Amino acid sequence: MPRRKISEYRSKKIINRVLGLNYVGWEVHEGKIPEIPPGGIFVLKVDQAVKQRFKRGLIYLNLPSTHMSDHVSILTDKGYSSLLIEPYHVHEATGERYISLVREREGVTLHYSRHGGVEIESNKDGIQGGLIADLDLKKVATETGFTTKQLEALIDIFNSQYMSLLEINPYVIEDGELKILDVAIEIDSAAELLVSEWTEADLRSPAAVLTDEEIAVKKLNNESPASFSLEVINPDGAIFLLLSGGGASVVIADEIFMMGHGKQLANYGEYSGNPSTDETEIYTDQVIKLLLKSKAKKKVVLVGGAVANFTDIKNTFKGIISVLEKHSDELRKQGVKFYVRRGGPRQAEGLKAITKALENMGIMGGVYDPSTSIPAAVKSLVKGLK
Amino acid sequence: MTTSIEVIRKLQPQILVHGLHQGIIQSILDYDHLLGREVPSIVGIIARGRKKERFFWGGTEVEIPLYSSLSVVPVAVKKVVNSLVNVQSARNVKDSVIESIDSLPDLKIVDIFAEGTPERHALDLIEYGKDKNVLVVGPSSVGVLVPGVLKLGAIGGTMYDQLLDARIKNGGDVAIITTSGGMVNELIRVVTGQGRKVSFAIAMGGDRFPVLDPEEAILLAENDPETKEIVFFGELGGTDEYRIAELIKAKKVKKRIIVYIAGVVAELFDTPPQFGHAKALAERHDESATAKKEMLASVGVAVADRFDDIAKSLEQKELEAVELIDDQVKVRHKAYFMSHLSGEEDGKIQLLGDELLNTVQNNSLASLTLSVLLGKQVKSKKTIEFTDLVLKLLVDHSPNVSGAVNTMVAARAGKDLVSSLAAGLLTIGPRFGGAINDAAEAWLNGVENNLSASELISDYTQKTGIVPGIGHKKYRLDNPDPRVGALAKFAEKNGKYFNFAREVESITTTKKANLILNVDGAIAAVMLDLLTTQLKYTPEQLRELITIGFFNSLFVISRTIGFTGHYLDQRRNDEGLFRLDDSDLRYFK
Repeated sequence: MPRRKISEYRSKKIINRVLGLNYVGWEVHEGKIPEIPPGGIFVLKVDQAVKQRFKRGLIYLNLPSTHMSDHVSILTDKGYSSLLIEPYHVHEATGERYISLVREREGVTLHYSRHGGVEIESNKDGIQGGLIADLDLKKVATETGFTTKQLEALIDIFNSQYMSLLEINPYVIEDGELKILDVAIEIDSAAELLVSEWTEADLRSPAAVLTDEEIAVKKLNNESPASFSLEVINPDGAIFLLLSGGGASVVIADEIFMMGHGKQLANYGEYSGNPSTDETEIYTDQVIKLLLKSKAKKKVVLVGGAVANFTDIKNTFKGIISVLEKHSDELRKQGVKFYVRRGGPRQAEGLKAITKALENMGIMGGVYDPSTSIPAAVKSLVKGLK
Repeated sequence: MTTSIEVIRKLQPQILVHGLHQGIIQSILDYDHLLGREVPSIVGIIARGRKKERFFWGGTEVEIPLYSSLSVVPVAVKKVVNSLVNVQSARNVKDSVIESIDSLPDLKIVDIFAEGTPERHALDLIEYGKDKNVLVVGPSSVGVLVPGVLKLGAIGGTMYDQLLDARIKNGGDVAIITTSGGMVNELIRVVTGQGRKVSFAIAMGGDRFPVLDPEEAILLAENDPETKEIVFFGELGGTDEYRIAELIKAKKVKKRIIVYIAGVVAELFDTPPQFGHAKALAERHDESATAKKEMLASVGVAVADRFDDIAKSLEQKELEAVELIDDQVKVRHKAYFMSHLSGEEDGKIQLLGDELLNTVQNNSLASLTLSVLLGKQVKSKKTIEFTDLVLKLLVDHSPNVSGAVNTMVAARAGKDLVSSLAAGLLTIGPRFGGAINDAAEAWLNGVENNLSASELISDYTQKTGIVPGIGHKKYRLDNPDPRVGALAKFAEKNGKYFNFAREVESITTTKKANLILNVDGAIAAVMLDLLTTQLKYTPEQLRELITIGFFNSLFVISRTIGFTGHYLDQRRNDEGLFRLDDSDLRYFK
């Protein structure tokens, strides 16, 4: 649904072609090294929308082809699955320029600067531009070194491929020749079926290394019409969230944070869009797996959320209950307590069923209907930690 | 975008739902019922499949018409629609909303439900709607609620008891504006739980570019005379709240705003997390929940740091009890069948909209028969007289015909009345007695597709070799069927179907003298014309009558009398079991 980054490889490929330039680079997926010219010198880098790659040691410069497979292994062992190889060129960090396109409510804006590169943030004063509709492209062309035709081609590809951000930073003009050194593109992933230049496979998320549980939830989310998310914050956390609703889940996480228990928060995540009982089971299973692995001494789980519009409380709770029953011995042994707060269609039946189940399993913390406010339910959850 | 909340509050809602979403539609109808409305506010649903769909109406049921596309919605319906819920899938949203705005002249408000609408499509809608007088909310919106007037979407709940629990029957003075659909019900309950009432509630949707943006939504509340206070739920991501602050600084917004911004928890993450809503991602500091809260507090907004602070910021009033759900609503269930013909009301049998005895006394047998067959009381004298003639003409056509023979054979085998009659009736089919329907289809196809008579003839002769309604064994051009003559007297002066049938006959008879318009063809053509001119049937309705076999039903009913007569005749004759003589069956070895 939201804006997503696409790979550096795909971004450079698209933009160089559109500008009439050549681009050489090879993608590395799952450690499989493509054919690269023997005897060449290369750059190897992680291509997963990770920031500060130099600082994190995720870029190797000046790498002979003979050392390639060793270094690919180092990165894949760290859990990175998408890498990029490019020929290594030395260039001086002078004359680096910046140009960007951004989609805003009022229209697409174009900004550019003669002082680009990594220092662009500190050179904000040098940035010029505005809404494309208000700009004189001929003037922009003279000031950026792009031709008017190239600028038009950029704007065209930006729109036709549903991009929301395009940043060429830096580029240089060497001997009158345009050279693109780095490109970042964010696209609108909702437009996947409407574009020709990128696909789902080109999308990159900043999360470097995912846990098995996070991967399982991502897969579930891709396969279901309902939506699911799971992010591990602290694998040894004490507070686990099994929540529904994009807004309510943030409110609940906020409450826990504001009460000073942020460090104990193990995960953030939510399901919404009326998932089936089976899907709820798969999701719950992943959260419970995380929970059982945590080394925290006391563990509590908050189940539920706000007053749902559609989500059938009875059905979704049925899925949750069946997973809890599967793990009930272990949950009881670890002394885990469950707290439930929820409203919505068939809430009475759903809350009744989960109350009975939690009591039977001996893992009852508290069950609340919407007459108990979200903060009050969170308070009782936090008390359960003591 | 200039439709104000006050304009909507004065509407008599006439809602079109684009897409069949049972839960949303039912909840809108439940809200109508809760408000004590006599008729549903939903005037139609755009969805493929059936012609209508049944929904609960309080403890009973109501039918809502379905239209396969916006273009086939009758003009009379299009004219009155003032509200629209779009539950189309994300990729159809843009085109369908634009089409709706273009073709619904009185449209005031649209709510777009779909999640995952491309940003550019939302931006196109914003651009398109600029000079239109329509309030467009969404995408990813669960609805707009103006208590006592309009529930456009799932907002407020999708179950009857949820609507009661939310205390949204009457309006009040607190506006609720939220990016989150899931939180809108929670906030409604926070407000009404304080004994306050909601002036209106809008779920703008958590997309990057909501068509109605937070700034505009706040202005709607500011300009709404009923609203005194505004509860605003926002999230990290985006910088809309800065524009709200500008409005406050410029004194364009003076009403009290209570703001909650979700997402302070983002500080826990190494890389900015993407929360559930598309916009809920803060990459820069000014997009963070904390920054936005500080900034809003600095311009005098009542910032709720904790969720409970929203309730605490509202002046409490006396809390009224939640209404209990009606027992009839509680136990309601969808009936297995529906009937437009007859049924029981207060223990009395009703037929065709009146008490049985009244209906019977006001109808001749022909009139009653035709009315029951068409499912509504027919008043056209001419059509009834024609039906009378048809029913009489078709009673019997000598015992030599297949159906009568089978009845007689069964009767002589000692079978009872119903079995023998069934043997005769079961003979009716494509070669015996079933041609009136086929003939009606031929005439309708010819006229509605603007075919010439010769085009229709070549169509049929290529396909089946014969034209239904044409040809007779015995009667010829020079020896016309007297029954056809009698039927033709009822032909409407400019009856297009009968004229067409005659044109067909004028060509077929040049080929062979016995290829004349027969009784089946004549009944079909005259009946089509009478239904059109006297009973105002449209070609689509005629097509439906053909599909369901109405034209053949005339034959079945009439000939039932004949078959029954032959059965009784045979029983009186009491001749014993019938057997073919050996000479009547040739054995081929």
